[in-house]
Order: sequence, then structure tokens, then C-alpha cells
Amino acid sequence: MATTALEQELKEMIIDALELEDVTPEDIDPDEPLFVEGLGLDSIDALELGLALQKRYGITLESDAESSRQHFANLRSLAALVEARRAQ
Amino acid sequence: MSFLELRERPWRQRATTDTVAWYPATPTRPQGWLSIAEWHLRIGAWQRLLDTFESTGQRTWLLFEPDPVEFSAALIAIWERGDEVLLPADNQPETVASLAHAGVALGAIAGAGSAGEDQPPIWGDEPLPENALSLYTSGSTGEPQRLTKRFAQLDAEMATHATLWPLAQRVVISQVSHQHIYGLFFSLLRPICEGAPFAARLCPYPETLHAWLGELQADRGVLISAPPALSRLAPAMDWSPVTTSLARIHSSGAPLPKAASDDVRQQLGTPVFEVYGSSETGGIGWRDQQHGDEWTPLPGVEVRTDDDHRLWLRSPHLDAPNAWQRQADCIALTSTGFVLEGRADRIVKIGGKRVSLTAVDRALESQPEVVRAQTLPLQRRDLRLAAIVQLSAETLPHDHATHRATVQRLRRALAARFEAQSLPRYWRFVTDWPSNAQGKLSAEIRRRLFLDLDDRRAPRWLGEHIEDGAWRLTLEVPEHCAYLDGHFDGQPVLPGVALIHWTMQAAQRLLGAETTFAGVERLRFPTLLLPGDRFEMTLEHRLKDGQQSLRVQCLGQRGEHMSGRVLLYVSDSAEDNDVG
Repeated sequence: MATTALEQELKEMIIDALELEDVTPEDIDPDEPLFVEGLGLDSIDALELGLALQKRYGITLESDAESSRQHFANLRSLAALVEARRAQ
Repeated sequence: MSFLELRERPWRQRATTDTVAWYPATPTRPQGWLSIAEWHLRIGAWQRLLDTFESTGQRTWLLFEPDPVEFSAALIAIWERGDEVLLPADNQPETVASLAHAGVALGAIAGAGSAGEDQPPIWGDEPLPENALSLYTSGSTGEPQRLTKRFAQLDAEMATHATLWPLAQRVVISQVSHQHIYGLFFSLLRPICEGAPFAARLCPYPETLHAWLGELQADRGVLISAPPALSRLAPAMDWSPVTTSLARIHSSGAPLPKAASDDVRQQLGTPVFEVYGSSETGGIGWRDQQHGDEWTPLPGVEVRTDDDHRLWLRSPHLDAPNAWQRQADCIALTSTGFVLEGRADRIVKIGGKRVSLTAVDRALESQPEVVRAQTLPLQRRDLRLAAIVQLSAETLPHDHATHRATVQRLRRALAARFEAQSLPRYWRFVTDWPSNAQGKLSAEIRRRLFLDLDDRRAPRWLGEHIEDGAWRLTLEVPEHCAYLDGHFDGQPVLPGVALIHWTMQAAQRLLGAETTFAGVERLRFPTLLLPGDRFEMTLEHRLKDGQQSLRVQCLGQRGEHMSGRVLLYVSDSAEDNDVG
């Protein structure tokens, strides 16, 4: 599946917000986990990412940690979240 | 010859026919000796120079002088006036500019005065100054700190050393600068107070040392060295013809790797006595690793520990000799001394969780490709870890893909033991351990290693050294370098103008801030540089027909990225810069 414009935008947002100095957008596989395995993000990054989504797209995450975690599973799920919430 | 305290002014008391310094042979001149009488004439020459500043009313002098004889003469001339002296760590333009307000510059500092012809000294009745000297510590834990040493502190420590390791008129050869306290203390002040000659030149290279030792009779030399020089000594040449020359070697500044201690002992046939301490504390303990890794406290120095394993110190070498002072290092007491357990401040909190940086370092060092590693916290939004990792040459990444693969492999290896947020986020891979002349990974070097995080136009700097008269800088193209913007076809490349800019930045740092761009000649960019590419930039400074220039070559794994000449305009005040 090709990378959509939104996915590309999210890749750049992640790299920028989390200061991933040696990661380029091409390094982020949309289907690979963002956390621990794959890109190797951690709980501090999860907080940063939440802030970035709010700033950029006006999206506020649920206070329920479990459902937030599902959205952050990989880039595709993150893009789906942005797509859905932006449309509301 | 008997030991005299600095406060007894040994320079006045020795017989004028005694020797104070040894001149090793040069291709054109046999070895020779400097007598006390001849040394007095150099002191007189500096006294006359200092007199010319009489009208300024200045009582503090900024002294940088690489020549040990001239340095010692200048220092004594200042003391004889009862004036204060400040020793800058180097004569780089930035260092000198930051201290310019503090006193009158002397010696090898751009625009400073140096002593002229020999003159008879004048011994007045001016008391010695309050402080023997001030200097700036290397700043391994932050900003450089101004530090003052009183005569009593230095005299107490020298008396201890004179008893423990008497020089007994052996020639003292030094591989470390006397602008720092360790070099000054061991290679100049001790010989002066014990009436032993010091070598009239610094001996930075193994080849020089080999030649000098060939001139000395058996057991007539003492070498003052440090881990960076000592680790590179044994493999450099065949020492068998000169193994008897040295009575002992001293090393300080950082712990000497055990392997280096073994090599030196075996090949030079000389014991290495390491001294543990800092500019602030003076000497604390000593050891010869051939007899174990324990440190023995120096005579008169008391050591104890607390529940946190912190080292507590009471020492005549401290400014307050009767008070117990807590130090940043952790120790464990043994039956005869103590072992070092690392610095207490190596525990940090990341995301609220405590992480031992020493534990992360050791885990990294247990990986087969890792020679040495040091993690450090970087204050970026939240506290994050960075790692400086020395890899074996064959495992070094050369481009973005291999860099990513190396980072992922190392992070995976750490993930088994540490939580995700404790894993280093910023990685710097090096082939040679980055350190200053004292063997320390100083705050300044750390700043330079991570400069590209704050300056999107800077390259990723991974070390530099001088080889065959040229600077060799190891650099990487940061993946998010601002110069990569405006790329085409989704493949960003580094434009040639960025390389010229990086060349000029290096030139200004190495040659002085007054260096400006004057043009280019025969400049070629044969192979494109891509984000993440690692390369070596070689800069050779030339002066031909009044035109200063840098011969530049950038070489990477895929080929040559740049070659040619960058022409420079260097204003007068920047020319006299010491590249060493």
C-alpha cells in the first residue's frame, strides 16, 4: 500500500516532535509498530505525540490510556485516528 | 639534593653552577645543560619585560608559554614582583578573548610580549604573592571553573612526593602541558624544588622520547605522561634498546587502561605510578596496576566513605586542610586503600525512573563491536540519553542505512535490561575516543559532538586530529540538515556550498575567528553526499606568495566528495595560533 499524503505528513510530524535525529520519513514503515519494537518510541514519546496531535490537528485523546495506545500502534492507525477526528 | 619549598625560593638558593634544565640533542646540536646562572639571566629578562608595564598598575598576568625554560623564568619573575598569575589552558582565540580582562597577556598569545635579551636578575624583598597561581579546570563536569592554589598547598604536596618518589637529580621528561596543574606540578615545580633538571622541551611523540632516552644513562630519567600519550607509546616502536633509561613513569588525568599499563611495563621495562586526584583536590592516591587496581592514599591524605559510597577527603593538599570534604566520586574501602566505583552523579532520572549511566555504559561495552561507551544526559525537552560509542573500524557505519542498523542493534541489546526511555536516543559513533590533551572527554568536546542538534546548519562532528601536518575532521551529514532543503526527486543531497561553509567554520575555529573567505581554486565535488553519510575532511593550511589557503579534501566510503583549495584572508591577530 502506498503512503498517503497524510501519512507522509504524520511521519514528518513524528520526526520533528520527537527529535528523531537519524530517522527519515522513508525509515518509518506504516505497518510497523511505533513503540518499543519498530521505531522504538517510549512512554515519554507517547506524551509528546499526544501534544503534537493536539497542536497540529486539534485532536484531544481520550483520558483512557488503553484506547490511546491502540491509536498509536502504527502509522496507519494514527492516520486513521486523524482522518476520523478531523472529519467530525 | 635537598628539597626546598617554593616559599624558600629555591631558584635563589641553588649554586649557580648547578643545572636546572636539560637540552636534548637536535640534528645540529649535541645535548646540553642550562645552569642556574643562565636561568637567572632568563628570569632577569622577564623581570625587565614586566617592568615595562609598570605604569598600567596591573598586578595580574595571563601567562601562556610553551617553552618550559621561558615559562619557568616568567613565572618566577611574576612571583618575585609579588604579583598574581593566571594560566589559560590553551591559547585558542576564544579562550584568550574570554580572559583578556583578567590580566596582561604574556608569551605565546597573539599580541602579547615575550622576554628579550638575557639580563641579570634583581632579587628584591617583595613578599611572595598570596596565591601561587590560578588556572581553569578542564571542565569535565560543566563550565570551566577558576581555581586558585596557595603556596602552602603546593609545598605540602611536593614534600609528600619528594619523600615517596624522590627525583634524585634524574632528568624529568614531560608529555603533558605545564599550563595544567598536573603537568606544572610534576614536570616543573617538583624538579625546581628538588634540584633535578627538567627537559627544556615538551616531548609529545613516541619517536622523540625514544631518541631522548637513548641519550640518557641508565635510571637517569623520569617520564611525566597521561593516558592518551601512554596508551600509544608501547605499540609505536621497539623500546628494547632504551628500557633501562627511565626509573619510573607517572600518569594522571584519567585512569590508565590496564592493557596500557601492562604494555608499558613489558616493553619499556618501567613501572607506571598513576596518581588519582583532580585540579581541585590535588593528589589523593596512587597505584601501580601491576600490583592490582587498588589505590593507596598519598601520605597525609585521609580517605573515608559513607552509606552512599561517597569519597570523603581530608587532605593537606586542599584549600582547607583540616576539614572533611565530600567528593563526587564513589569508592569502596579495602584493607590497604580503596577502589574507585565511578562518579556519584552518574545516576539520572529519565521519565521519573532512575538510570545508572555506568550500567548502560557497561551493557554497551559488553557488545562485541563496542570498544568503549559513555552515555550522558542531554537536556532536550525532557531529559534524554545520548551515547558516545567507540566502535572497531570494521563495524563503523558509513551511511544512513548502516547507522540505523547499528543503532537498532545496540538498542535491542540494551532493551533486555533497560526500560525503553532509558535507551540512548542520540548516538555518536567514533573510531578514536574523543578527548582533550589531558585525556578527558571535556564539556567542550561533548558540546561539539551534539552541536548539530541545535544548529541545523552544522555537520555532525565526530572527532578530529592532526596527521602529517593536516587537520583531519570526521563528519556526518545530519539527516535533517537545513542545507538538504530544496531537494529534487525525493532524494536530498548536500550541496557543495554547504561543504565550503563547513570548511570555513572549521578554518575559523582552528585558525582563529578573524579568518575569512577569499575565494576558491580548482574546487570539485565528484561524488554527491547524502544524508547520513560519514566522511573525513582533511584541511592543510598553506602560505604561498602571501596567499593563505586550505587544501581541502573530503573522502567517504563511496569516494571523493570534495577536493581543491579554499583561499583565506587571515588578519594579523589570528596568525600566531598554536595548532597543537
